[in-house]
Amino acid sequence: MANSMARSFLQVAATEEVASPLRVVQIEGLVILKIIKHCKEFSPALVTGQLLGLDVGSVLEVTNCFPFPIREEDEEIEADGANYQLEMMRCLREVNVDNNTVGWYQSTILGSYQTVELIETFMNYQENIRRCVCIIYDPSRSNQGVLALKALKLSDSFMELYRANNFTGEKLREKNLSWVDIFEEIPIQVSNSALISAFMTELESDTPVKQCDYDRLQLSTKPYMERNVEFLIECMDDLSMEQQKFQFYYRSLSRQQAQQQAWLQKRRTENMARKAAGEEPLPEEDPSNPIFKPIPEPSRLESFLVTNQIANYCNQINGVAGQNFNRLYLMKSLHDN
Amino acid sequence: MASKFWTQGGSDTEEEETDIEDEIENGGAGETTAAAAGSRYLQTNASDSDDSDGQKRVVRSAKDKRFEEMASTVDQMKNAMKINDWVSLQESFDKINKQLEKVMRVTESDRVPNLYIKCLVMLEDFLAEALANKEAKKKMSSSNHKALNAMKQKLKKNNKQYEELINKYRENPESEEEKLEDEDEDEDEDESGSELEDPSQIAAESSDEDDEGEDVDDDDADGAWEKKLSKKEKLMDREFKKDPSEITWDTVNKKFKEVVAARGRKGTGKFEQVEQLTFLTKVAKTPAQKLEILFSVISAQFDVNPGLSGHMPINVWKKCVQNMLVILDILVQYPNIVVDDMVEPDENETQKGADYDGTIRVWGNLVAFLERIDNEFFKSLQCIDPHTREYVERLRDEPLFLVLAQNVQEYLERIGDLKSAAKVALRRVELVYYKPQEVYDAMRQLAVLSEDGEKDGDETKVEETWGTSAFVVTPELVSRKLTFPENSRALMDILVTLIYKSGDERTKARAMLCDIYHHALFDEFSIARDLLLMSHLQDTIQHMDVSTQILFNRAMAQVGLCAFRVGLIAEGHGCLSELYSGGRVKELLAQGVSQSRYHEKTPEQERLERRRQMPYHMHINLELLEAVHLICAMLLEVPNMAANSLDAKRKVISKTFRRLLEVSERQPFTGPPENVRDHVMAATRALCKGDFQKAFDVINSLDVWKLLRNRESVLEMLKAKIKEEALRTYLFTYCFSYDTLGLDQLTKMFDLSDAQIHSIVSKMLVNEELHASWDQPTRCIIFHDVEYSRLQALAFQLTEKLSILAESNERAVEARFGGGGLDLPLRRRDNQEYAAGTAGGGGGRWPDLSYNQGRQGSSGRAAYTGGGRPLALGQASRDRSSQSRGTGGYSGRAGSGMRGYQMDASARMVSLSRGVRG
Repeated sequence: MANSMARSFLQVAATEEVASPLRVVQIEGLVILKIIKHCKEFSPALVTGQLLGLDVGSVLEVTNCFPFPIREEDEEIEADGANYQLEMMRCLREVNVDNNTVGWYQSTILGSYQTVELIETFMNYQENIRRCVCIIYDPSRSNQGVLALKALKLSDSFMELYRANNFTGEKLREKNLSWVDIFEEIPIQVSNSALISAFMTELESDTPVKQCDYDRLQLSTKPYMERNVEFLIECMDDLSMEQQKFQFYYRSLSRQQAQQQAWLQKRRTENMARKAAGEEPLPEEDPSNPIFKPIPEPSRLESFLVTNQIANYCNQINGVAGQNFNRLYLMKSLHDN
Repeated sequence: MASKFWTQGGSDTEEEETDIEDEIENGGAGETTAAAAGSRYLQTNASDSDDSDGQKRVVRSAKDKRFEEMASTVDQMKNAMKINDWVSLQESFDKINKQLEKVMRVTESDRVPNLYIKCLVMLEDFLAEALANKEAKKKMSSSNHKALNAMKQKLKKNNKQYEELINKYRENPESEEEKLEDEDEDEDEDESGSELEDPSQIAAESSDEDDEGEDVDDDDADGAWEKKLSKKEKLMDREFKKDPSEITWDTVNKKFKEVVAARGRKGTGKFEQVEQLTFLTKVAKTPAQKLEILFSVISAQFDVNPGLSGHMPINVWKKCVQNMLVILDILVQYPNIVVDDMVEPDENETQKGADYDGTIRVWGNLVAFLERIDNEFFKSLQCIDPHTREYVERLRDEPLFLVLAQNVQEYLERIGDLKSAAKVALRRVELVYYKPQEVYDAMRQLAVLSEDGEKDGDETKVEETWGTSAFVVTPELVSRKLTFPENSRALMDILVTLIYKSGDERTKARAMLCDIYHHALFDEFSIARDLLLMSHLQDTIQHMDVSTQILFNRAMAQVGLCAFRVGLIAEGHGCLSELYSGGRVKELLAQGVSQSRYHEKTPEQERLERRRQMPYHMHINLELLEAVHLICAMLLEVPNMAANSLDAKRKVISKTFRRLLEVSERQPFTGPPENVRDHVMAATRALCKGDFQKAFDVINSLDVWKLLRNRESVLEMLKAKIKEEALRTYLFTYCFSYDTLGLDQLTKMFDLSDAQIHSIVSKMLVNEELHASWDQPTRCIIFHDVEYSRLQALAFQLTEKLSILAESNERAVEARFGGGGLDLPLRRRDNQEYAAGTAGGGGGRWPDLSYNQGRQGSSGRAAYTGGGRPLALGQASRDRSSQSRGTGGYSGRAGSGMRGYQMDASARMVSLSRGVRG
């Protein structure tokens, strides 16, 4: 009860400052470490967890997090999961940690996170919290010496469309929404308390080269590329499927239109005859007729998401390929020397 | 042609005639024989024939004709009695009963004619006699005996009705007859009988002779003509002397209306009507009237045809053509007469004489008649057994029709009705397009020959007779001679140009298809292909009628054969593979009905299908077609299989061929080849081993090759191709086993020159089908063992997926915008052309998209050989550069929902040309 009270209070607070949009996500170093630890341990399985923190103006502070147990496709356990979440929150509040949800984090493989589920979760969260982010961590990319952390939120215009559940071509054009506009990435800021920063400096070794620098020099990136291309191929298949759906739709649409036309023609001649005979003309629309039932246009959401994913993979391939070239040139010059 | 009416004249007409004459001499001596009864009428009528009455003639003539028929039937019965033939007697009896009904109707009296009664009496007597004669009865054949018994029953039943009359007759045969005669005379009161009987009789007779003549020879037919005409002449002379002034426009018109009104009514003899109308044409007063009547004659002649499935009797057909020519004569002679089927002309329009100045409108539709005549011709060829002489004779009538069509077309062009002229031209095109030059020449010669024959025999006579007999003299203004250009191509060009200019859509499409067929027949592959692509027929053919679709299939088959003859194997296969994909070639080409095991056809469907069949002489030889298709498939598929030996399922060029090969491989023991399929399979087995000589020998032993005009060169080409493919197969199969391979050895193995081998191998290298390089100094091919990384393989896979995606995207866009002048396809085209033009140089980013099946490749080799058929491609691109036009991708998405592996290429092609045109 108290919990809900607190949350609603927060909500009220949030609604008051609608004006300033979210600019930065500020994450505690500890949170990042916890996320990394969680995700890496379970990799390649995908895991999720809750983000806790504060919404302060245009900054969303993430001050704590806790992992969800690995979800299984069982309703009982799912209920357990919800219980666990509540329980966890209660415990955290008891030890006086920030315990309002600001989003969730999840791990991913090669950045293939653009799914309908993600959007659904987003919408679920959005119902309760105005500002929520999803932090995505990609362990496989991190192996290459990069901190592959991303904070995402859905764009407002997309959410509006999604609520109306209307992804027809016409609506999309109206909103001028393209596939790029589904997700917004928010810059991440890492903040540490002064004590921690001091301690870190203390820890820092004297050598200029660190572990992640070595990682960066790793030459074998082939598996990574391969996986990427494989995923790309899958995406292509998905896209082809979507395309087929559309082709089918257009075919049936044109067939229906032809039928309608024929029917109308018939009805008109009939009406002419009736007119000549001095009878009342029949109406030119017949809603009960099955050929006038509009065929539902397939949703574009899926293809948008697939496109997003493709763009993601392409970026990754581009990036990795670029780095690879650099390394190769580097190696070459080293050899020459 | 053996209708009731004709046969009753029978072979004994001469005899009858003499009978008649005898009686005339003898005067009205009452004779009691059955034969006399018939002639008695003649005689009595003849005696007072001077007071004629035109008005009453109609009724009389019909009535008398009935009596005449009856008399002749009685005659037949007499004959049958003489030879004790009960079967024919029974038939005659049935006939006379029918005739009796007619007579009763005509005379409108309920009194049975004594002729009939007499006949009954006679039959009764004969029957009693026959039954009494037990011995003779035993001797009879079983059928005869059966007929006798049946006759007994029938007669008993029948005679009950007329018992009274029969008894009366038996009592006093003479007086009864006399009395009836008198009454008849009273009714008759005039001459009409003799005159109007005669034409019908003579006509019957002469047409009979005509028929015989046809069966024997043309010359005989001429003879018959002579006879007929001379008789008619006689008759006409009489008519003229008697009443030239009495026949007026009105009388003729009235009679005409009457006859026409009887059309279609029950009991109206179709032949009689034709005869009556034909007679009327001779007495027509004005040219317009003659024209009107002639139109009716032709309509009536069409009516003679018993049903939809049967065809018009051939002699009627011929007369029909003659009538059409006469119509044209009239139209040419009097240009002020206009034929029209739109407006209902004025009742008395035809009264306007020859010297009338204004336009005279006559109802009629030349084109419709002409098309009907053509259809009947086509149907007769469908029905006649093609292996008989009759068929050949029938084919000889073709020039006759062509003459007519030519004249009609000229006439239509002259009066400016180009649309109709185009229709007529199409009919001509459809008779010519499938004829190779040899057949065409033969037809020309035949036309010239028959022309000569006719000239010395017929012409003078015809003019003379027509000149003297008809009121309206119609000189032969229209030439009865065919004017053929030397070359059938020239003829086709003239005709199709006319059609393209002024025909409607269907006419144009059909003409285009005929044109394509004809070009293909003359080995002009590139022209035929260009026409096909330019016309967009592939896109629209599904929406056309079935017969046009059949024509399209025929054209495709012919283009395929043509491509093969000129050595374009891939193109040939592209054209033919779809015909064979469904296993319904016969149906698709309308050259026979194929039985489907899985779904029964309804009788209705079957009938429709039968009606669509092509006449035998237009058939494309199915064996040759199959041989060509399978050989093309073999030449493409064998190296392809060798190249993808690790992953055979990956890329299939010809599914049909693969299936056949599987079947033949499954056989535990392969015997010597028997049919085309076996031959090709045997050749395939040899070719797989690289044994080109054996492969060629097997193929060469097929006897379908004799059907080819340039057999030698085709076989030469085939041999070269087989060698080439054998070399390629060998290289594909054994490249793993060799490090190097000497050029000299290959030369020896495949009996090819150095240069040839060099070019073939180099092509393979360039297309990256073969991973090797030339080592010039040692004249060796050095093979590189190349293994592709997984990443590379994946990259290939990805490009393939991308290309599929791009293709379907494009198609979607095209569907949306109607394939208009978008620049996207154009650009893509260029791209492709570039890729193909450089023969996939270095495996560009989009190496030939038209073969998008290939590039799956997770296995190293398969991945890289996706480029498909570089040789064929090379040819395609060469030939493209000479004409700046697209690949040979015709896969005709035709009638049967064909869909080919090169369809995309062709679709793009089409959209390109559409853009250019629009």
